[in-house]
Amino acid sequence: MTVFFRLFLLSASLMFFYFFYLYIEEDKYYPGASFQTSNMPLFELEDLYSDKLIINTDIEGAHLINVWASWCITCRIEHSYLVKLSSQGIPIIGLNYKDERIDAINWITKFGDPYKLIIHDLQGELALDMGVTGAPETFLINNGKIIAHYRGEVNEMIWSDVFSPIIKKENLFNDN
Amino acid sequence: MIIKSLLFIFFISSTNVLGDSLYNFENIKDEERFYSLIKEIRCPKCTSGSLASSNAPVSEDIKKKIIELIKEGKTDAEIKTFLSDRFGNEVLYNPGLNSSTYILWIAPVLFLFIAFLMFFFRRKT
Repeated sequence: MTVFFRLFLLSASLMFFYFFYLYIEEDKYYPGASFQTSNMPLFELEDLYSDKLIINTDIEGAHLINVWASWCITCRIEHSYLVKLSSQGIPIIGLNYKDERIDAINWITKFGDPYKLIIHDLQGELALDMGVTGAPETFLINNGKIIAHYRGEVNEMIWSDVFSPIIKKENLFNDN
Repeated sequence: MIIKSLLFIFFISSTNVLGDSLYNFENIKDEERFYSLIKEIRCPKCTSGSLASSNAPVSEDIKKKIIELIKEGKTDAEIKTFLSDRFGNEVLYNPGLNSSTYILWIAPVLFLFIAFLMFFFRRKT
């Protein structure tokens, strides 16, 4: 009896440490961050400014994809940081999410344009395919693969803790 | 009299509008599958609530997508993998057996086994 009880105590404490180890080792620094690699879904959507179609081959290479909308208040807060990032040479593609064209264009002209290209996703079809649950969300893509996904506002802290490590690891955005 | 009959027509037609179902299905089986699926899938925007309980924009989109997938003839398992690939394993209320969830499934059996062993050996001595 005592032997089994001791064994049980020992295994229970070992299990506790094992799970604690797993928990702290998990590369999930923030609740909204995910580093699961997946393929960028196929899409064919219009540009925000014209009816020109944008397809997967237009966004080859390494990019940030930022999901935003003019109705999204957090996007407004996030916006100044995105402007800063784009001035540092980070290519950002906007995914305008469930937004009217005119509202989105007014928003951009009023607050500034950090985006290299803006995809107009009125129905949110590409967004659904990418696992977007709302705005803002930011993806890091490299050669047709999503390598990081953050749900929520990107700011200096999130950039240095979530995006910078993977960008360094994958050696991206060096030519800029 | 005219007013009364107009009112009558108004009420009849309004119930017809309200009585229409929200989603359209080709057959009853698809409809049943849809309603059981949305109870098993969590709304990704809610702390804890199924798609069935949520009218968040993203839940509405997912529901529409599920109907689309059902119409394409996808199985329940395929629909669930489609969603967990995009929104993570946490969208499934019934977690599948994989490397990160095996302990959830094994632990109860393990504890029962340990308890059984302890009980068994105590009775013997």
